[in-house]
Amino acid sequence: MRTMKTTFALIIVATLLLTSCGGGAEPAEPKIITIAWTQEPNSLNRSYSSMWYMAALIQLYSCSPWQFDENNEAYAYMLTELPTISEDGLTVTMRLRDDLVWSDGAPLTSDDFLFTYDMITDPGNTVDSVYPYDMFTVAAPDAQTVVLTFAEVFTPWMATIWSGTVMPKHILQPVFDAEGSIDTAEWNLAPTVGCGPFTFVAWESGSYLQFDRNENFWGAPAKLDSVIFQFVPDDAAQTAALLAGDADVGFWPPYEDIPAFQDAGLLVVTEPSGYNEGWFFNFRDMASVGIRDLNVRKAIAMALDRGSNTALRLDVVGVTETFWDAMPAYVDPTITPWPYDPNAARTLLETSGWIDRDGDGIRENADGVLLTITQGNTNKTERQNYQALAQQQLLAVGIDLNIQSFESDILFDSFSDGGPAAIGALDIMQWSDVPAFPDPDSSYWLCDQMPSDDNPYGFNYFGCDETLDALFRQQVSTVDPAARAAIFHQITKYMYENVYYLGIWEDGDVWIVNPRLTGYKFSGVTPFFNIMDWDLVP
Amino acid sequence: MIRYIVRRLLQAIPLLLIISIVVFALLQGSGDPLAMMGGRRTVRPEDRERLARILGLDQPIYIQYVYWLVGNDWVKIDTDGDGLGDTPGARKGILRGDFGSSLVIRGKPALDIILERVPNTLILMVPAEIVILLASLAIGIYSAIRQYSWVDQAVTTGSFIGYSMPIFFIALASMYLFAVNFRKWGLPYLPTVGMFDPKVGKTFGQVAIHLVLPIFSMAVISISGWSRYIRSQMLEVISQDYIRTAYAKGLSERKVLVRHALKNAAIPMVTLLGIEIPFLLGGAVVTETIFGWPGMGRLFMDHLTRSDTPVVMGILMLISFAVVICQLLTDIVYGWLDPRIRYD
Repeated sequence: MRTMKTTFALIIVATLLLTSCGGGAEPAEPKIITIAWTQEPNSLNRSYSSMWYMAALIQLYSCSPWQFDENNEAYAYMLTELPTISEDGLTVTMRLRDDLVWSDGAPLTSDDFLFTYDMITDPGNTVDSVYPYDMFTVAAPDAQTVVLTFAEVFTPWMATIWSGTVMPKHILQPVFDAEGSIDTAEWNLAPTVGCGPFTFVAWESGSYLQFDRNENFWGAPAKLDSVIFQFVPDDAAQTAALLAGDADVGFWPPYEDIPAFQDAGLLVVTEPSGYNEGWFFNFRDMASVGIRDLNVRKAIAMALDRGSNTALRLDVVGVTETFWDAMPAYVDPTITPWPYDPNAARTLLETSGWIDRDGDGIRENADGVLLTITQGNTNKTERQNYQALAQQQLLAVGIDLNIQSFESDILFDSFSDGGPAAIGALDIMQWSDVPAFPDPDSSYWLCDQMPSDDNPYGFNYFGCDETLDALFRQQVSTVDPAARAAIFHQITKYMYENVYYLGIWEDGDVWIVNPRLTGYKFSGVTPFFNIMDWDLVP
Repeated sequence: MIRYIVRRLLQAIPLLLIISIVVFALLQGSGDPLAMMGGRRTVRPEDRERLARILGLDQPIYIQYVYWLVGNDWVKIDTDGDGLGDTPGARKGILRGDFGSSLVIRGKPALDIILERVPNTLILMVPAEIVILLASLAIGIYSAIRQYSWVDQAVTTGSFIGYSMPIFFIALASMYLFAVNFRKWGLPYLPTVGMFDPKVGKTFGQVAIHLVLPIFSMAVISISGWSRYIRSQMLEVISQDYIRTAYAKGLSERKVLVRHALKNAAIPMVTLLGIEIPFLLGGAVVTETIFGWPGMGRLFMDHLTRSDTPVVMGILMLISFAVVICQLLTDIVYGWLDPRIRYD
């Protein structure tokens, strides 16, 4: 018994010693903040990663000619002014500031942009995407001028190019010369030479990323000494880390945890990012008879209680109607949300010949075809919960919603590999997506993007509507902003009336911030655009 | 004995080959690694086609397997999409020690990615296994020799409660109690996530304090199961005639239990340990994910969900190899524990 008591006492003492020498330490002198990051980047070279969790980081250690502010408005960053565009819309000219330098002191010039363009378009480099760099050429007439020449008018250029992609030629050219590729360049995973307000210090796989203030930064120096991104893959653990004060900033927390953050005195900051969770309707030939009936799609829009379902998300986000709700200037102002009206939905179904003839609660058409609609999404809990609600609400008007969920890489698998979205196995698909925000361009409904044996990776999983296709092609080559907005009014109205897309909820960015942080702002496009102004309460 | 070991090792070669074929085939059906490369946006068809071509993902599965096994430095890759091979392949294949490059962290050797995580996993799993084994032995033996005592009853009840709790519940509950609430109540508290606080650095004290909650979470469940197993094995052995004989000869209880009872009760436990030890390399997926521990379990899940075949295959083949070796060691230990077993 005495041994047990001694052992127990030793355990207590050891625990107290460990806890007092670790978590209870006094705040360190340097200004360091920790940001909980639920996904680890797969590269720190922007051209090799399309992950949001990577793209968001680049404002720390990399730089872009222009950035977007908290209103998602573009402003000149590395440039003396925003780029100018020729009247025919084919030539974009950028004038760089003359004081730009890399963190090692080497000058940053138009040559670096030209080199970056060459690296992205070189077939020896397996960059994630060459879009839209394959649509223009680059010239560098002098050290401070970069000229882009497009083969045809491409209006969304500002939202799609140079976002943190610029690479240091003096570091990477020797690698490319030696290996014929920069795929294995050390810089991709350890960009110690950068052009942002912070410089890369360390990346411990699975653990954290650290950036320290760039003492050679060409702009106003950052106020913080270090920013640490700690990888916390579990949402509930992120919540605990924020509540415990182990992290100062968190992103995309579970909505149900927001009251706990507010009770703990943490700040909840929302920012439109262009993303909307929505239902994409399949009107291809292989879709069910029901979903190809416009009245059924309208009935679904009215039978779904989107307001109540979204209110469960604690009013942090609202219901959306169109794919472009985050950009109201492009949405036809006459669009009124589909009301929640189950009776109107029932009437519509009956006028369209969908009647419950056998009394089993599910409607059939005159041929006896059951009104069964297959709906699928990724197996994210929030989506699965929404599916369950939708299933009940549609059943109340006689529609049988057959719900399915998949891993993302299976849902979006190619046509040739039988991906359920690509082969048209789903009548309704739900996910969160975005146009080329803050530009409204989208290619999702183009007819030449229909998946097939000849185009196995096509991403128009929804259908080809010639009218819609023509409107999308027209907008992308329309230089005049007012005329382009007018085309989008037609697009949004047409899609609304045909119920090709039904907004579910606004999927903007949600940040949790410890009040000891000051000066912070977030952008929905370039989130940490003013990271150099962030500070800690003295 | 040496002939036996050599024979077993030779037998392992076709076994590992078969495992690799089966696992490779299964992974091909687990999704398209290119499908999620666009992040939250859909990947453009042109990019998907280009990457599939350069990464060799457009090849039939048996060709992909051959490249994985023996490399592709004997063929030319079509990088520009004109249908003709223009650049020699760079892969040497796993038979020449090249596990391939990760499809997710492009250009980084899969083996490097795996080896970065192995020490972290062992730092977590080895102490956890030691704690689990020692505590289980102590509890199991004590419960057996004090059968139906109040301690035994309490341990039995505790074991059932511990064993029936899912690990994520224990992990999150302990995190909220010892990290969030202890801090709120002004008590000494433990950290929530990570292997150490990057602000402080990777010191012994930091790693030790960050180990407490993950080990506690794993230990609660494992001790509950293992202690019951040890208790039942010990109960069976201590009722044998030779144990009574040992007592009758005047040996002390400690000698009887340790030299005679435990050694014989240990044989089935060695079997279980032999199976469990190689899986230490695989880490603990749930525990590592919740506590943000940078181990193999998390690595495996992160790369499996992105269909990163080279990394996933690398992890599975390492574990398979470890299983083969540990099974061999287990058989050797049998011979030491039970003199009736002979391999020559």
